[in-house]
Amino acid sequence: MPEWYSHPFFLLLPTAFFTLAIFSFLYKDNPMFKLAEHVFAGLSAGYYFGLIWQSVIRQQVWMPLTQDGQWSVLVPGVLGLLMFARFFPRIGWTTRLPLAFVIGSTAGIMFIQQLHGMVLPQVGRTLLPLDSLRNILIIVGVLTTLIYFYFSKPHTGTLGWIASVGIGFIMVAFGAHFGYTVMARVSLLIGRVQFLLVDWLGVAR
Amino acid sequence: MNGTAMGISGKSFWERLQGVDRRILYTLIFASVIIPILWPLHLPTPVTPESRAFFNAVDSLPSGSVVLFPFDFWPSTLPETEPMAVAGLRHCFRKNLRVVGLSNVGMGGPSIADRLLDSIGAEFHKTYGVDYVNLGYKANYSAVLLGMGSKIADIFPTDHRGTRLDSIPLMRQVPNYDSVKFVLIVSDNAMTDYWVALVNARYGLPMVAGVTAIMAPKMLSYIQSHQLLGLLGGMKGAAEYEQLIEHSDKASRGMDAQSLIHFLIIAFIILGNFGFFMLRREQSQKGQN
Repeated sequence: MPEWYSHPFFLLLPTAFFTLAIFSFLYKDNPMFKLAEHVFAGLSAGYYFGLIWQSVIRQQVWMPLTQDGQWSVLVPGVLGLLMFARFFPRIGWTTRLPLAFVIGSTAGIMFIQQLHGMVLPQVGRTLLPLDSLRNILIIVGVLTTLIYFYFSKPHTGTLGWIASVGIGFIMVAFGAHFGYTVMARVSLLIGRVQFLLVDWLGVAR
Repeated sequence: MNGTAMGISGKSFWERLQGVDRRILYTLIFASVIIPILWPLHLPTPVTPESRAFFNAVDSLPSGSVVLFPFDFWPSTLPETEPMAVAGLRHCFRKNLRVVGLSNVGMGGPSIADRLLDSIGAEFHKTYGVDYVNLGYKANYSAVLLGMGSKIADIFPTDHRGTRLDSIPLMRQVPNYDSVKFVLIVSDNAMTDYWVALVNARYGLPMVAGVTAIMAPKMLSYIQSHQLLGLLGGMKGAAEYEQLIEHSDKASRGMDAQSLIHFLIIAFIILGNFGFFMLRREQSQKGQN
């Protein structure tokens, strides 16, 4: 391999090209942007297919079946194949079998997950002594926000006043989310500019 | 003129400000990212209690402990998540912790895990299969997270390279969560919620999380409930962690641009709102005349 070819400028040229092609949309839509978009979609589909083939079909169905003689993997294997039955109208109804399994098991897991892993620990840690401003703020925030989402009675009088305090807390949460979102998006831009200036062009450290 | 400077087009300054071309704003934003990368300002980045708690949790683990290290992020968020993962791996390897990597994100996750584990492992002269391993990716996160509690080899018959787990020395000592001391999650999606709700709640495994800035406010509730022991939020969290492990890297270098661009956005918001109210005042005065 010629020496110039191993220079980061040439090695990273395709990555830099696609980064600049995507950024070019900021000026206006153009063929370079479209090209980058289509290459990304095609590569993603190919990558995902290869990954599922290797990590699921080969490792979790084919290998246990042929190397370890685990015939039980045929059950999920056949259920998985039935997901494609919808393409054949005569047996399309069989798709409902794997779907029923997925919906049933997911609902069961999610119920336990939400109750045991989310609701109970969060409620438990909200039962705080009113001995600090932080604890008072947490309790007032939780209660007033919950009351805001109580819609069985018109938000008038005392209930309306409490609900408006809840709105205040919700607005603070939205503000925090917006601020963090800006930071996240800016980070992505910084990452790309770092790639272009530091890794590709080598003009900064 | 109505008390306001009028431009050549007959529009007032405030009218032109409201209709400013977005490409001018993009150029200003690009400039405020590029300038501090070329000429660093070395602005301070104070460490938050959540990041310090993250550091302390990892730092207090005994040498040789097995750490489960999910690389649950997409390539699209690498500027935020990669510095966290790199700093986390450096911290683990420096403490002689053994790392079991995996990914619940198919698109790029296992390859990123492979690249980072190998490169940071090489920095500390660690051996694949003895000091660290990459289990790779398996579809269906809930089956993966719950199934690993019973037997990891049932979920991952082989590692990412296709080696059977019973041939890997490290994995022979880690049959399930009972042998895992700690979970260090780096994530850009709801996987942190699932690790907390399925693994921490059911198996009691202590865990910390490094997440993208977008996710950070939500994750703070897990800190308050002690379901997470520590939290890194976005590039800033990663920069703080780099400070704590005393190894500055990409996140620390990006924080100057981060600070500068935030000043610019605050200025945009103030100017935009001020301009809006000034324009409204101007229009109401025109109406009176």
